[in-house]
Formats: sequence, structure tokens, C-alpha cells
Amino acid sequence: MSTALKSLIDQPYRHGFVTDIESDSVAKGLSEDVIRLISRKKNEPDWLLEFRLKAYRHWLEMTEPTWPNVKYPKIDFQDIIYFSAPKPKKKLASMDEVDPELRRTFDKLGVPLHEQAALAGVAVDVIFDSVSVTTTYKKKLADVGVIFCSFSEAVREHPDLVRKYLGSVVPHGDNYYAALNSAVFTDGSFCYIPKGVKCPMELSTYFRINTQESGQFERTLIVAEEGASVSYLEGCTAPQFDTNQLHAAVVELVALDNANIKYSTVQNWYAGDENGRGGIYNFVTKRGLCKGVNSKISWTQVETGSAITWKYPSCVLLGDNSVGEFYSVALTNHMQQADTGTKMVHIGRNTRSTIISKGISAGGSNNSYRGLVKIGAKADGARNFSQCDSMLIGDRCAANTFPYIQVQNDSAKVEHEATTSKIGEDQLFYFASRGIDAEEAVSMIINGFVKDVFTQLPMEFAVEAGRLLGLKLEGSVG
Amino acid sequence: MEEQLSRAFLDSLLSGRPGSGNEPGGLKALRARALERANALSVPTTRHEDWRFTDLSPLYRLSLNAPGTSVPLTVADITQHLVPGVAARCVFVDGHYRDDLSENGLGTEFVTVVRTGGEDRKVEPDVLDEIGRIATFDEDPFVAVNTAWLSEVLVIHLPRGACLTGPVHCLFVNTQADVVTHPRVLLVAESGSDVTLLEDFVTVHDRAYCVNAVSEIAVGANARVRHIRLQRESRSAFHVATGAVAVARDGRYESNAIATGARISRHNLHVRQDGEGAHFSLDGLAMIAGRQLADTHSFVDHALAHGTSRQLHKCVVSGGAHGVFNGRILVRPGAQLTDSSQESRNLLLSGKAQIDTKPQLEIFADDVKCAHGAAVGQLEPEEVFYLRSRGLPESLARSVLTYAFAADVVDRIPVPSVVDHLRAMILERTGIQELA
Repeated sequence: MSTALKSLIDQPYRHGFVTDIESDSVAKGLSEDVIRLISRKKNEPDWLLEFRLKAYRHWLEMTEPTWPNVKYPKIDFQDIIYFSAPKPKKKLASMDEVDPELRRTFDKLGVPLHEQAALAGVAVDVIFDSVSVTTTYKKKLADVGVIFCSFSEAVREHPDLVRKYLGSVVPHGDNYYAALNSAVFTDGSFCYIPKGVKCPMELSTYFRINTQESGQFERTLIVAEEGASVSYLEGCTAPQFDTNQLHAAVVELVALDNANIKYSTVQNWYAGDENGRGGIYNFVTKRGLCKGVNSKISWTQVETGSAITWKYPSCVLLGDNSVGEFYSVALTNHMQQADTGTKMVHIGRNTRSTIISKGISAGGSNNSYRGLVKIGAKADGARNFSQCDSMLIGDRCAANTFPYIQVQNDSAKVEHEATTSKIGEDQLFYFASRGIDAEEAVSMIINGFVKDVFTQLPMEFAVEAGRLLGLKLEGSVG
Repeated sequence: MEEQLSRAFLDSLLSGRPGSGNEPGGLKALRARALERANALSVPTTRHEDWRFTDLSPLYRLSLNAPGTSVPLTVADITQHLVPGVAARCVFVDGHYRDDLSENGLGTEFVTVVRTGGEDRKVEPDVLDEIGRIATFDEDPFVAVNTAWLSEVLVIHLPRGACLTGPVHCLFVNTQADVVTHPRVLLVAESGSDVTLLEDFVTVHDRAYCVNAVSEIAVGANARVRHIRLQRESRSAFHVATGAVAVARDGRYESNAIATGARISRHNLHVRQDGEGAHFSLDGLAMIAGRQLADTHSFVDHALAHGTSRQLHKCVVSGGAHGVFNGRILVRPGAQLTDSSQESRNLLLSGKAQIDTKPQLEIFADDVKCAHGAAVGQLEPEEVFYLRSRGLPESLARSVLTYAFAADVVDRIPVPSVVDHLRAMILERTGIQELA
């Protein structure tokens, strides 16, 4: 590997600072008492506590899955702080009341809490450790009937909606980490788009883990009623610690008839240092249910952070003619590990899905695509196209693909393609002969490689994602 | 309960295992080790990732015995399976070598049978040492049981530079119900040699039995081995087979595996690169109907640099049959300039048919070219329409297209008479003969 290339992939992590803010945490460890305490702290209704306890009891009987292609020391679930909130926890009436220390944090991260900030036109919900700090543009959204608030607020203000849809896509016992999340989830975003409404602006949640040894277990629920449409963005960062932190979130999407949900993620949790010390374990369950006819759910993810990423944003295509999409760029460097991909479960007739996955591995990292395309016996005329491309930078990294294709219907059509390539000295030489230096050449090659996915991102995010890849890989993408 | 079932089944596979006689030294120890392993392992269930789609429980419920006295067979009974122009034909009936049915069998200097009671001709110790070296049995109970038996091993040994013009035909005939046989073949092709191995599994009845076959192939430097495998067991039979291949520098291994029989069949094909620049080509066709299940698990291990591999696997699935394919390609660290491609193509011909396919790439080197593709679909309506516009009735049009899909793999087989035979079989299966 050329030295130019090497220096390019070793950019520092810029969000690694800790905010010195007083926080209100419960003691380490997990038990029914801790769950009751979290529930009490959040003034939750009884049914939610029941949901948590049911999930917890289920979780106790489950065993930690070992099938993913990732390696990590056993997690001690009693050594995690399950609830941590910045103090003071009084109700915030306006932006000005947000703790100035906290606001400086988000200024540093480039997240606009202020409604006139640079990324105007995006409503932001900000989650700091376990608690939602603020949500912007609430009023403007309320005018068209869109509910966009923190999960705790939704439980208070819209209990019927939450109760109806919570756990309807990812049941409390779905998998090990989803069960854990259902037991201890602290906050998250709730979003409800009423019938026929096209959400007037992009919605966005910004997640930040601050406390050392705390886990973040947020829960996002998005419901799009008939004919509604929404585009939702999610961003994440965490400070630099030597220890590993667990992030086990659950995201549930429900799209009714003719509804359209677009969910974009730029994940940049702290990835650990170059020797693999520290970093976030990102074990997330994301699933969308295309419940109604002609509904559509589209996942776009740019995964650049986390020591270990393990997630499969999925679509259950239940309604006839429903559409699922998955566009992903997963970048791993140093000792990062990623086992990510998607599941497309075709149940309804004439359902269609598209999977475009681009994996880039550098350093000593391990990047796997794992996907499932399942065509049920009744999914007449179902159609899937998958493409998974990998790029390797350096000879110590690994790129794997594990696509599962299961077809039980003879009118279905499934295609899968995968290729592997590298940035070779000959390519760089070609660019050099055209007068383009190595840095720019790498940037252009990577840009070309991920273009299919980046064009799917909302504009504001495409810029941020490009910058992120730049930070991680070569400095001047964008 | 499950543990008991597993134990009982493995014990039934091992019952009647011939005790050790005066077989060559290393073999005795190998059999003992394998027996120990077979006693320690348990049978796979669908909870094992490698067996997720293939449920062998109907097999575990069978009560199987070691074969008794075979139905008397004459050459006339197996004429339909004979292949003209072979270098040698070795016929095994219910696991036992039959010299009277074979042709040139042990007459050629390259072929011999090693028995627990001794060998038919002196085999070089180096060659014997190859047994159990490539087909490892540490994790696989079926290979362990097979190795623990080793009652009659067919050893084909091509010395340096030897080239055989015709194929070596190994015909495994089953004549009894409720028995299990453990065919074992060892092929050692030394450097520069060239040989075609044709393994053919057939039956004369349609009842249930089990075949647990293992073939080990060592391909020397610059040697070339072509391996044709026909699995035509009865539709009630169970067929579990492992092919383990190691290829030395610049050697070539070309495989064509055709599966049309058995109620449940499983073919594990592990090819390993032992030297730089080795080439593999793996072609497979599973053509199944009714309630059949055909499972192919291939594993291409590019352990060293400059290896190339090409793989095409096709499944034609009709009725309520179930096709399974798992193609794993591993490019190990340092295996630079590997060039590998794999294609899994599947044709579903009925509403109840089912396909599970999983092409799997694991790459640990950066300067490689790897691609895989998988497609599951049905006959293109446009293509059917085209043929109908040429005056073919719809059913014939569909048959012609199905035939063309399957014949693509068959045509790559290097033995013309086998190609003709398989083409005729596909024609019959697609129903063209009746229609035309």
C-alpha cells in the first residue's frame, strides 16, 4: 500500500470529546428492580412496565447469539449503566433553556439545535445518553398534524398510538438484543404522520452517548398512515473511551396503504483506536413493516463508526405491491468489524425489493454483508435484485458476503450479484498519469464506488456522509 | 431423546463394521481414530447452520443394517450403465468389489482395492498415507463413520506423467433395501498425470437405503483430474457424499456433479489449493421432482496465490421438490491474484417447488477478482412465446427451454457417451420424448 493511501485512511475521530455535564444515572446492573426504577423515573403507565418486564423475563431465558462473523469478549450485562440523563431534568420550554454546556456540545458536533442554524429546514430530536434533550420545529409540524417528539413524551401524550404500534414489528422477544432493549429502553423518537400528509420537512434524530460505561438503548417508532410520506434521518456519535459501550437500539417502521417511509442513517459511533481498544458495540434491530398495499419502505445507511456493527435493517413486505429498498455503505478501518445487511421478506403479491450494498474494508478490519431474501409461497410475482460490492484497501482486511436466498414461489424472480475489487497501484498510476494526485484519485474512486447509495441520501445528509467518508478515508471527498 | 436417536443411528451405521485384519499399518490406526471420532460426534440437525435446509430426520428413523447377500447380478443387469471406451471399470455391489462385473478392473496397473483383509496389489506406502489426509473427519460424523469402515477402498494411482485416455468408471450398485454402504475412493494423480474419474451411483430397486460415500483426490503439480459424478439413486434412498480434493501447484481439477436421484441427497465438495496457480472448475446440476431434496455444499479454499476457480451450479426443481445450494469461496490471507467466479442458477417449475441458495464469499486478500451471482426464476414468458410462435405447443416449448437450461451443464462433461446418456435422460424427464 502506498504511503499516501496509508496516511489517508488514518484520520482521527473528531467527535471523541467528553462533555463534563452532571448526569443522573442509576447504579450499574440489570434486574427487575432497575427496570421498575427506570419506568418510575420516566413516570410510565403500567402497561409499559408490563411490556418491559415481559421482555426482561423472556430475555433471561435467551442465549446470546454467536452466529455473526464478529469476535468480541463476552459482555457483562451487569456492568452497564442502564439509565443516564443529563441534569437538571426539568421541562424545557424553549431552546434557550437548554444547558449551555450541552448546547456547546452539539455546536461542536455541528448539530443545529437552533432553529435558524445552517441546516434549516430539518426538524431535529436530540438524544443525549438516555434522554431526549430537545426537539425542534415542533409547532410547524403540529400544524399539519405530524407528531414528532421524544418517546417518553409520546408515551405521555399519545399513549394509545404508542401502545398500538410498540412491539408490533419487532416483538419483545424477537432476538436477544431486541428483548434487552424492550426491557430497558430509555428514550428515542416517535413519529406519526397522519393520513394523506406529506411531511413538510426532513425529520432527524441525533444520538449521543456521553457517559462512560453506560449503554444506550433507544427505541424509535415511525408510523405512516394511509397515503402519508416521511423522510427520516438519524445520526450518532460518542466520545472516545478505552472501554466498550453497548448500543442496542430498536427501530420499528409501519407503513399503511400507499404510505412511504424513507429512513436514512449516518452512523459514526466511536470506533475504537487503531489497536481495537474501546469503541461502541452497535447491535441494532431495525425493521419496517409494509403493512398496506402499495406501501414503500426505504433504508439508506452509511456505517462508518462502531467497533462492531451488527445490524440488518429489514423490510417485511406484507401488503400487495409493496416495495422495500436497502442502500448501504459500510466502511471499516483498523480493527473494526461489521456484519451488516438486510432481510427482505416477501409475503404479499407483486412485492418488489432492491438491495445495493457497498462494503469498504481497510486496515485490519472485517466487513461482512449478510442478507436474506425470502419469497413466501403466496408472494406471486415477487421480484428482487441484489448487488453487493466490496472494496479492499490493504491486504490485512477481509470482505465477506453471506447472501441467503430462499424461494418458495415459482413466479418469483430473484437475482443476486457480488463483486470484489481493490484500489490498485495501477489505478492510482492511471490517475497520476492524468495529473491527478493519489489523494484525489482515491477520493474519486471511492466516490464512484459508493455513488449508487449516496444519491439515495437526502441532500443534507449526503454532504455529511461524504464528509465522514472523507474523514475516515481520504480527507477531501464531498 | 435427540441425543439417543443420534447415538442409535450412528451405532446402526457402525454395526457390522469389519474388525481390523492385516491391512497395511497406517490404516489400522486411522480406522481406530475415526471410530473414536464417530463415537464422539452426533448427527447434524437443522439447527446446524450447514444443515439448516436439509432435514435428515427421515434417515435417522430408518433402521439400517450392513448389507447381507446381494441379489445375484450379471453384466446384463447393468448394461444400461456401461460406458464404452473406459480405461477400467470397477463395479461395487452393495459395497463389495465384484471382479466378475468389472472390466480391466484390477487388470490395469493403476487400480487396486485395499481391503481390511489386505490389498490386491502392493500399493506404495506414500499413496496409502493419503487416505484420510484430505477428507478430514474431525467434525463430520458421516466421514468419520466412512473412515471407520474402510472395508474396501478403491485406490487409483497415476504415477508421474501417466495419462489415461478413457475414464476410470466406478459403478456403485445397490441391490438391497434398508442397508447402508460406505463407498470409498482414493485417487492420487502424481505430477503431470491426466485422468478422468467417473463415479456412478445406481440401483436396481426403488426402496430405501443409505449411501455414505467419500472420495479423496490428490492432484499433483501440473496434473489434471476430471471428475464426473452421477448420483442416480432410487427416489426413496438417502445419499450423503463428501468429495475432498487437494490440488498442488498448477494442477487442475474439473468436476461435473449431476444429481437426479435420492429422496434426500447431500453432496459436500471441498476443494483445497495446496500449491500456487491451481485451477478448479466445478459444475453441478440437480434435477429433481416429487418430494426429492438435493443439497450441494461446495467449499473452494484458495489458500495460496494465483488460484483460479469457475463454478456453475444449476437446479431444476419441479413438483414439491427442494433444491439447496451453498457455495463457499474462501480467499485466505496471502492468496493474492486469485480469480474466482461462481454462479448459482435455479429454475422453479412448480408452485410447490422450493430453492434455498447461498453463495458465500470470504475474502482476506486485497488483490483478487471475485464475483458471484445467484438467480432464481422460472421460464421466461417471452421465450415460451417465441417458441409457440414457431408452432410448438406450450408444453413442448416449456420442455425445450427446460432441456436447454439443464443441458448447458451436461454438455460440459468430457465423456461423449455420458453426455448422450444424460441428454436422453433429461429429454425423458422434461417429457419431450412423449410430446415429440
